[in-house]
Amino acid sequence: MTIVTGKTGARQELRPARWSLLLQKIWEHRADYAYVLPAIVVMLIVIAYPIYYTVELSFFNTPPGLQLRDKIFIGFDNYTAILTSQVFWKVTWNTLVWTLASTFISFALGFAAALALHRDFVGRGVLRAILIIPWVISAVAASYIWKWIYHSDFGIIGAVLVGLGLTDRPPNFIDSVSTVLPSLIVVNIWREFPFAMIMMMAGLQTVPDQLLRAAKVDGANAWQRFWHVTFPHLRDVSTVTILLLAVANFNSFIIPWIMTGGGPSNASHIWITHIYELAFGRQRWGVASAYSVLLFLFMMTLGYFYVRALSGNERKEANS
Amino acid sequence: MTRISLGGAVLRGTVSTALMVSLMSASALGAAPVDLSKWSPEYVRSIAGTQDFDTAADCGKVTPLDYKGRLTFWYQGVFEGDPDLLRQYYKDFFETFRKTYPNIQLEEQALTYNDLLDKFRTALLGNAAPMAVRLQILGGTEFASKGYLQPLKPEDVGYSTEDFWPGAMKAVTWDGVTYGIPTNNETMAFIWNADIFKRAGLDPDKAPATWDDVVKYSKQIHDKLGIAGYGLVARKNAGNTPYRFMPQLWAYGGGVFDEASANPTYKEIELNSPQSKAALQASYDMYVRDKSVPVSALTNQQADNQPLFLAGQLGMMISHPSDYNVMLDLQKKATGTDKDKAQTVIDNMRYGLIPTGPDGKRAVVFGGSNIHILKPEYVEGGKVDEPAAKAIICMWTSPEWSLKMAYAGSNPGNLNGFKTKWMKERLDNIKFLDVTTSMLPYGIPFPALPQSPEIMNIIVPDMLQNALTGAMTVDQAADDAAKRVKELMGGGL
Repeated sequence: MTIVTGKTGARQELRPARWSLLLQKIWEHRADYAYVLPAIVVMLIVIAYPIYYTVELSFFNTPPGLQLRDKIFIGFDNYTAILTSQVFWKVTWNTLVWTLASTFISFALGFAAALALHRDFVGRGVLRAILIIPWVISAVAASYIWKWIYHSDFGIIGAVLVGLGLTDRPPNFIDSVSTVLPSLIVVNIWREFPFAMIMMMAGLQTVPDQLLRAAKVDGANAWQRFWHVTFPHLRDVSTVTILLLAVANFNSFIIPWIMTGGGPSNASHIWITHIYELAFGRQRWGVASAYSVLLFLFMMTLGYFYVRALSGNERKEANS
Repeated sequence: MTRISLGGAVLRGTVSTALMVSLMSASALGAAPVDLSKWSPEYVRSIAGTQDFDTAADCGKVTPLDYKGRLTFWYQGVFEGDPDLLRQYYKDFFETFRKTYPNIQLEEQALTYNDLLDKFRTALLGNAAPMAVRLQILGGTEFASKGYLQPLKPEDVGYSTEDFWPGAMKAVTWDGVTYGIPTNNETMAFIWNADIFKRAGLDPDKAPATWDDVVKYSKQIHDKLGIAGYGLVARKNAGNTPYRFMPQLWAYGGGVFDEASANPTYKEIELNSPQSKAALQASYDMYVRDKSVPVSALTNQQADNQPLFLAGQLGMMISHPSDYNVMLDLQKKATGTDKDKAQTVIDNMRYGLIPTGPDGKRAVVFGGSNIHILKPEYVEGGKVDEPAAKAIICMWTSPEWSLKMAYAGSNPGNLNGFKTKWMKERLDNIKFLDVTTSMLPYGIPFPALPQSPEIMNIIVPDMLQNALTGAMTVDQAADDAAKRVKELMGGGL
């Protein structure tokens, strides 16, 4: 005879009840599920399967003389090879420098521009439109234009500096291992800061005017009004903007690939360009997949914080 | 204008003779339409315009002219560094094909040299390749070894194997089976600006004899005139880099393997041999020590050197005879005083043989392109229209079109092209053609290995960049490259 304690018995009784409740809710919302089903199927095909296949490939060796279907299982060797290679650490360092510098400088410049444009002055609309131009220009076109601007022999910057007598030779921007990454970061910031500016301008619209006026009446100076009133209101939009910029920068490809192809001497290779070269230039699909899995894990972590930041906003809005 | 002892040049040096023999396998000598043992500019002139060919009639025997079908076709097409003349011939070819085979629905796609391999590999992974493809000479072995290509030999489209350069046929052969047909074959030459030479105190009509001279001349031009001496190219993932560095490497007696020998085995890696290091040192001396070459060499390709040369800012470079036509095209687009300056450069353009190494060894890349048919399982839709594919291959590799499609830049894959009236016309119209045809016997094909694209497009440029940026010493860069080739050949990660 089985002795059932009251607590366990109650739990067992609850389980079928909870299941039936869940099924009942699903049934009630069957039309909603039907609406999202095509999207879920498409996502499974275009996202879930490639993720699964990438993870699978990351456990195989794919020599250039063999077809992909003849791949050789090697367990975690690709991961070991990546983590013990010098190139991995160099590329990771480049990626961190690229992502952090591009993200925070773009954000700071965008924020500053948003604050400036939030004030009413003649020509504000025109200036706002001009500042958005770098963001709307195709990244491919911008990369080629900047490549010519930076050209180490007959670039515009070099010609101007030589013309003004400031230097004997044009500066070496993208053909030097020490200057190439900062030079590319400048281009990326130029492209991205308008995005931060737009986001922060939108955020500034949400700062209650009466609070600013009240602070002014209470004798707060401009800095105090910004720090104690404006900035706290922008904290959430800032978090989201920084996260979006960080994700975009971590996944950057066009600017470094077109301008330098990751060179010279891997000095401007970031994760995505390196993965591309491994996969499509060197056909190391296995190693490239292992890199992609590591990148995926990192991006998922960033995504977790992004979702948390968004849901934090929603909770606050609901509470207020 | 430079007068070069072209006939003598062809026969110069025992090494070049060995290379010549390598390019002309004994079996081919008997039946070849062109007697390669007599090869010289004078011989080429003597056979030009001696035979007429009816391309449509010849190809009609392979695929009836009223054949109805559909063909998807990708090809390495013209790019920004090519002359307008070549663009027109490409346009003419496809128009003629459509007129000749009005019932074949042709869907062609042109891709640049640097994009084609990546795109083609990706398409193959998704079984979405075209039915036929024209690839750079470097690429065929990779895809043949992986089993993507159908066996295809010149006899399948109405020609004979002996109609093509034996060296080129080696590049389309894997494991004893032929998987493609050469469309064109090329060897480049050395170009210099006589006016710059004169102003720098050099003999304006004499090319540097050795690569050591190139280093010296480059420094002298830079020191005296403040412009770049030699047009070094060291960009990664760009075909221009191996085409310019490998002749230097081979001339010094180096190589990736023993590909510069008469019977290469590709067993020993020689990238870190003293000779290979000497070649790398020469590039280092020009870029780092003397600063006598364009600083932008690490991110540039030949198309970037062309405007520098036309602007009188570059003394010498390796390129095709087509660069003369490219300069004419660019000069037409110039305005004001730039137009006159460009004309001065064109008037002072000189072509010569590529310099030798310290031991008199002269070498050049035996380049070109080949055309292939894919296996149906890798093609979009799972079907290959073979008669349609053979029709376009027959036309492109015909004496007429293999000559016309190589009109300004290289040479016809089909040796009978040298006998056509268009060859005669070309000899009169294309300046400096003699020099590049004289370089043909010095041509060395890239190793016919599936790993060659990675070696030539990534490892060799990386070696150059590591040394030239100071990321590694010359010795370290060569050793690192040799280690990477060894790992690659061993199937490593």
